[in-house]
Amino acid sequence: MQWQQVWRGEGELMLGYWSPITQSAGFVSKGALAASVILMMAGFTLSESLPAYKTSPDVLHPPSAEYWLGTNGIGQDVFIGLVRAAPVTIFLALVTATAALVLALAASSLAAFGGPAVRGAVLRVVDVLQVIPSILLLLLLAAWIQPGFLGLVVLLALTGWHEDVRVALPILLRELTRENVHFARRMGASRTYCLRHHILPAIWPAIVGLFLQNVRQAALKSAGFGFLGLTDPRLLTWGSMMQDAMEHLYTDAWAWLLLPPAGALSLFLIGILIIGEGYSQSGGLTGKEQYDPG
Amino acid sequence: MHLIHQPLVRVAAATLAALLLTLAAAMAGPVGQLVITDARGDRGMLAPYIHGKNGIGYLYTTYVFDSLLSQKKDGDVTPALAKRWTISRNGLVCDIYIDLRAHWHDGEPVTAEDAAFTFSYMQEHPYVFADVRNVKEAKVLSHDHLRLQLKKPDAGLLTGMLLSMPVLPKHVYADIVEPQRFAEPEAVIGSGPYKLADYNKAQGRYVLEANADYYLGAPKFKRIAIVKMATDAALRAAKADEIDIISYLPPERLEQAKESGLNVVKAFSNHSVRLGFNHSGRFGSKDLRHAIAYAINRPALISTVYQETADVADTGFFQEASPWHSDDVHPSYAFSPRKAADLLTAKGWSRAEDQLWYMDGEQVVLRVLASKRETKAAKVLAEQLETFGIKLDVRILERAALQDSLSEGNYDLALYASSTLGDPNGILRRVFGKKWASDGYSGKKLRALADAQSVATSRQQRQDILNKFQEVYSQELPAYAIANPYMVTAYNDKLSSLKFMPGGVAIGVPSALHKSYLVD
Repeated sequence: MQWQQVWRGEGELMLGYWSPITQSAGFVSKGALAASVILMMAGFTLSESLPAYKTSPDVLHPPSAEYWLGTNGIGQDVFIGLVRAAPVTIFLALVTATAALVLALAASSLAAFGGPAVRGAVLRVVDVLQVIPSILLLLLLAAWIQPGFLGLVVLLALTGWHEDVRVALPILLRELTRENVHFARRMGASRTYCLRHHILPAIWPAIVGLFLQNVRQAALKSAGFGFLGLTDPRLLTWGSMMQDAMEHLYTDAWAWLLLPPAGALSLFLIGILIIGEGYSQSGGLTGKEQYDPG
Repeated sequence: MHLIHQPLVRVAAATLAALLLTLAAAMAGPVGQLVITDARGDRGMLAPYIHGKNGIGYLYTTYVFDSLLSQKKDGDVTPALAKRWTISRNGLVCDIYIDLRAHWHDGEPVTAEDAAFTFSYMQEHPYVFADVRNVKEAKVLSHDHLRLQLKKPDAGLLTGMLLSMPVLPKHVYADIVEPQRFAEPEAVIGSGPYKLADYNKAQGRYVLEANADYYLGAPKFKRIAIVKMATDAALRAAKADEIDIISYLPPERLEQAKESGLNVVKAFSNHSVRLGFNHSGRFGSKDLRHAIAYAINRPALISTVYQETADVADTGFFQEASPWHSDDVHPSYAFSPRKAADLLTAKGWSRAEDQLWYMDGEQVVLRVLASKRETKAAKVLAEQLETFGIKLDVRILERAALQDSLSEGNYDLALYASSTLGDPNGILRRVFGKKWASDGYSGKKLRALADAQSVATSRQQRQDILNKFQEVYSQELPAYAIANPYMVTAYNDKLSSLKFMPGGVAIGVPSALHKSYLVD
């Protein structure tokens, strides 16, 4: 839990850091969103025409004119890998992170609105999932089923949502009991109105933070799946490229094996941050009547 | 000033000084301590029934438990608990005379009773690395004289059973009903040169202490510590003289070890990486096995995955360094997509316009299993076969999951490595066995040869049968041997001129750390 809070703190710091840029320019976020979608679509369509990610005896070749970002432990071109992994990684991360977040928000809402008994039930389920290491759960599942790509998405979502509840629920409860919500309700505002104009804007930064965390986890966790027999180890993501780089930390090769996928993943995360922040600031959430306490 | 004259302070200061001195001495490493690093760590407690079911677990256990026979540094058998032995002309009776100088670690003498007890106990509680089913009776004729009656002659009696079987203390094990659950301190009372003084499963750490009155000579080291340490840490520690041996150094790190001031010994492991087939599935057909073999480019795979750290393996099971390797040349199934395609076509497969292979209108997708260690080889192999047009579904599994998938027949191809060393009777387990890393083959012709060599009456006869075995193996191809990787052990000057045991340690463990190097 603790690292999660620390991490979330960082996320909010970053949000603050990006605010001056994004506040004035909502289009940045729309641009970034469009860019990542285009990148993903283009990646999927182009991946057939890209050069193959072939192994060769030219292993651990440093970056050169022939191999722009060098080659890995079985002679695959890191640059080609980076490009080929982009659509899969982005797709996997976005879909899984969204699914996990939706599950988490649904569970949190259920707990928040459902009375003490339901809340207790939801929280105990979360407890159980937190106590059982997800790796154990995955190993168990791996023994039963052989998930494909979609199965992978489901597995990632199912083993990732419970941690979000721990963060989302208290925030949701806090916002639900605020004076502004009570006041609006008294004045005749509908639940939907309150949700849209008071609650969502207040919890949005946390949602973006959680989403970001889910994306990062999905990208890294999916890499480990190959070694649990859950996926074909050849499933190429930035996470799996980073994992492959780990065994070369003792040589200079780490620089061209680890940095490119790590950099790409960081850029991607920053992109999502901009999108999330920009969406909120550009008024996408609250419409024109956004109340500015400042 | 007057503070130091207070008696209490003086005592404290003296204690502190003593403590510091001890600490300094401990850090310098007391003479007589040997530290071995193991990248994986825990190999189970070092007693026959509870050590890890692999070569290394077995090897460490031989430091604590002696067998009736042992090996010289050149691999030949030499007396251990049995000081001499005779085998009757018909090969059915073996008289063994126990070395009465031998004692158990708790001081009790080792007698013929103990050896006889071990044979009957292992009949009842099979021990994975010593098959005693061929023993009809083990009779104690006197304090030091044991007579073994065999059901049929065993060509591997000396180099197999008597060399591999750890002798158990009767006074400890007689009442133990479930030796697999017996992990008390008494379980490790052996008669070997070292006693297990401490074992920490979580840390994967062993401390062995010298058995001062070892009957075959004085143990070279007062203490041997076996510690879990990753290669990087081990190399750094070796530079600082904190450790003495890196048991299995990844061969590509050899130069680095030399720079750290270590001696290195490098040899073919003969622990060959093989592509196994599911014989009860579609690969019951020899032609299909041949087709796969022709579709794989072994030299290309090796130059990508292993570079200089492995060589193309011999397809006849035994590898070149094995004393039993035949001089005949076995087919190498040199890469030939055309031959592969012809064989597949003859078997009713067809290649569609997308260049992929179909069988009865359905696209062929082969399921390949591999252990984590073989990940890279699996990736390259998959690429080669997919280039040829066979789709693959590759899975890297943990050992237990591998064992499960294998017994369920839930695979087509499997990539694994296992030793080809030790007494040739090992083929019964490694080729015809049912466990993971066995070829799981049951062809009658090959089996007949394997059985015939086990009852051969002379070495020459055994060699002749084994030559034939290798020829048939390379044609039948129960598994396609891909690579024979090198193994490297790095060590400092506390030991001299280590060598990988020719033919492997006892059951065939490729290792340079046979216990004879640890005894004067």
